[in-house]
Amino acid sequence: MDIAFSRLESEVAKFVLSESIPAFANSFRRTMISDVPKLAIEDVIIYDNNSALFDEMLAHRLGLIPLKTNLSEYKKKSECSCGGEGCSLCESVYTLSAEGPCLVKSSDLIAQNPDAAPVTGEIPIVKLEKGQKVVLEAHAEINTGLEHAKWQSTLACGYKTYPVITIGDNCDACGHCADECARHVLKLAKKSVEVIDGKLIDCSMCKLCEKACVGSGWEDAAIRISSDNTKFVFVVESDGSLPVKEIMTYALTDLKDKSDSLVDVLTNISGAL
Amino acid sequence: MSGYKCARCKQKVEIDINVRCPYCGHRILFKERGAGIKTVKAR
Repeated sequence: MDIAFSRLESEVAKFVLSESIPAFANSFRRTMISDVPKLAIEDVIIYDNNSALFDEMLAHRLGLIPLKTNLSEYKKKSECSCGGEGCSLCESVYTLSAEGPCLVKSSDLIAQNPDAAPVTGEIPIVKLEKGQKVVLEAHAEINTGLEHAKWQSTLACGYKTYPVITIGDNCDACGHCADECARHVLKLAKKSVEVIDGKLIDCSMCKLCEKACVGSGWEDAAIRISSDNTKFVFVVESDGSLPVKEIMTYALTDLKDKSDSLVDVLTNISGAL
Repeated sequence: MSGYKCARCKQKVEIDINVRCPYCGHRILFKERGAGIKTVKAR
């Protein structure tokens, strides 16, 4: 199994997973979405709120704000030595106090721990008119996307099988397929069409090129689109709470741990028999 | 028991049988927020 990155930034990654199987690729995707923990606001203590939004709506909006997460600093409440009551090891506290007229943004959330501040200060929470006021305290905790989507650290996380474009000897270089291609993957060469260097990964396998080529019948089509079921093109986007590389590393480690525990269980069962 | 506030004259109003402001006769009243602290889940 191998991973080759074509793009790797702190919030976006595009890579090819090769020498793998569809089951593993899907497990990897699902683990990145639902099993990587992050911080999100869970409990909101409202002291005053006479804004247009009612308390539950305000709390819901606060819960969806992505917070910078240091996984070595916090642990899940259920695994904390405080027994789930809430302490500095499993909880991050924020305060918000604003009086209108103003637009309350995520930058108005004052974090007790600056390392766990909102990812961006530009997220609008509520608009206050003159005389309206919001005073609250919010408690964020670590959990996974399996519990609620607000703990999901990936935004877009998906894959497609690696495209394979086969151009036969009967290509007459008419260029219809290259004109039809919406992703501009093909170009016209001297004697036939060919795939532009580095653009194969962009092919969405829509088969518009095949349709353009088969004007004279399916058997005669010179271009064929298929997919390689051992290679997968992944796109992973983070909401900024964790770097993409950390999300991937955590997901792979988690998958390995789960596989190991499954092997242990199976070994015990076969031993008992 | 939390009180009410008239939407037109902003006077504090107690509701008995009629839902009506005794000062201006307006029939739209806002319920005022209680003094207690409220804890809600962010879901």
